[in-house]
Amino acid sequence: MNPIPALKFVARVAMQNILRNRGIAMASVLTITLTLLGAGAAVVVVHALDGVLHTEEAQASVLKVFMADHVSFASEINLAQNLASESAVSAAAFENKDQAARQAATSLGLSQAISLLESSGAGNPLPASVNLHLKDIKAVSQLNRQVRSSAILDTGPHPTDYNANVIPRLERYIFVAQLGGGLVVAVVGAVALVIITISVRTAAYVRRREIEIMKLVGATDWFVRWPFVLEGVIVGVISALVAAIILVGLGLGFGSGHGLALGVGPRFAALIVLTLVVAGGLLGSVGSFVGVRRALGT
Amino acid sequence: MSISTSPAAPIVKPAEAGSASLSRNEPPIIVFEQVTKTYPNGQAAIKDASFTVRPRDFVFVVGASGAGKSTVIRLLIREELASQGHVLVEGQDLARLKHRHLPKLRRKMGIVFQDFKLLPSLTVAQNVAFAIQVTDPGRPHLKEKVGEALYIVGLEDKLNAFPTELSGGEQQRVAIARALVHRPRIFLADEPTGNLDPDAGWGIVQLLQQINHRGATVVMATHNREVVDLCRRRVLAIEDGRIVRDEAEGSYLREGDAIL
Repeated sequence: MNPIPALKFVARVAMQNILRNRGIAMASVLTITLTLLGAGAAVVVVHALDGVLHTEEAQASVLKVFMADHVSFASEINLAQNLASESAVSAAAFENKDQAARQAATSLGLSQAISLLESSGAGNPLPASVNLHLKDIKAVSQLNRQVRSSAILDTGPHPTDYNANVIPRLERYIFVAQLGGGLVVAVVGAVALVIITISVRTAAYVRRREIEIMKLVGATDWFVRWPFVLEGVIVGVISALVAAIILVGLGLGFGSGHGLALGVGPRFAALIVLTLVVAGGLLGSVGSFVGVRRALGT
Repeated sequence: MSISTSPAAPIVKPAEAGSASLSRNEPPIIVFEQVTKTYPNGQAAIKDASFTVRPRDFVFVVGASGAGKSTVIRLLIREELASQGHVLVEGQDLARLKHRHLPKLRRKMGIVFQDFKLLPSLTVAQNVAFAIQVTDPGRPHLKEKVGEALYIVGLEDKLNAFPTELSGGEQQRVAIARALVHRPRIFLADEPTGNLDPDAGWGIVQLLQQINHRGATVVMATHNREVVDLCRRRVLAIEDGRIVRDEAEGSYLREGDAIL
């Protein structure tokens, strides 16, 4: 059999099927779009949470060691150099009191409070610190114990910014989010599969006479099956594209500047679009394959 | 679809002179060997049936409704498998035929039914062309082949008509034309006159005889007594699933049987 006319025939019949049963096709596209939209949104949210974890991990692997106010600059530099030579430390940066004030003013929005304190004669309340960037986040607690014994540290209740609960809590949140996202994706995927199967089964029922004649005159199973499979793929891909357009549109709408909402970059957005299209095509082909089995009696 | 109707070559080659005697020496094209068919509901449609059909034979399978005639046809096209015994077509045991080889078998057969099985959304020419498009879409001279088939059945002037615009007899002719495009060696007809008035029915039987004369083996299941009695061809009579009579030039009823 010549494949070119065969493929042309399959494509023509698939398009005819969609146009003939456009009501069913539209309903399928709408429902699958909604399910893929849900799946895509779940992936985006999980990705955003994952990003938060990595940011938090990066921040948590920086141990801020606060100095006492009376310590000389030489002692501070000396401590910083000592700590920088530790094997667990990848980099150490000294931050003096003025830098700490500027940092607090910009990142924490405390500029007014700091100006008020300075103008009242109380001076800059923020301590100098050594910021230690650690190679492995697991080394943070050990180094924290080690540096606390130093005599030149701040004598307050928090000589470092170490918080023992942050990482395990974050990891718990991310696990729950990933599990939830995975469940959402699995459920909506199954729903989409069932919808396509029912849709193709309905189309096969509508065309039962045509299928019966095809089989009687000697058409092969794949010749009967492929128009349906292609129909499912077309419906799946169209649904995926609509879902992707809505998702990217929402991301742009809620995003700021050139970026998308929830910290989604253009590369990840492109990956989501591609994944949705592939998933839509796969769901369409598998659903159709299953849906047309009964019509073929195989 | 617009098609010219100049038959370049006959769809079915005319039978050679002396074909009847030739066929006696040829192996049978159809063999039923102690065939029993029991459906899942326990109903035995065919019971221990044995018969053979030689190439170019014309056979009427007769019997009352529910006697098992259609089951014979369904077994021959492998729509059903025998529960016991063997059904052979051209020496091939259908029970051993792999599913993927079934389309090849079906292309050797022309099959028509009482309900015509035409696609109402397609024209006459498109209905006939459909059989080629779904089996060999790249086959050259599609229009000529469709034209030939419609010429044989006498519908060359109805190419662009839709089935609903045709009489029952004409619709059955379209179905026959569609069955002819693969140049079948075996032509199976399951009650082809069942939905037709006597004149149209007789026209269809004459057409089947013409197809047989051109070289195809014809098996026709019917309970149309008039056509069987007029044709005087081989008759296989089935009663309650059993072959009760096999006559070379038979009639619908056994000689001397009363018509109830």
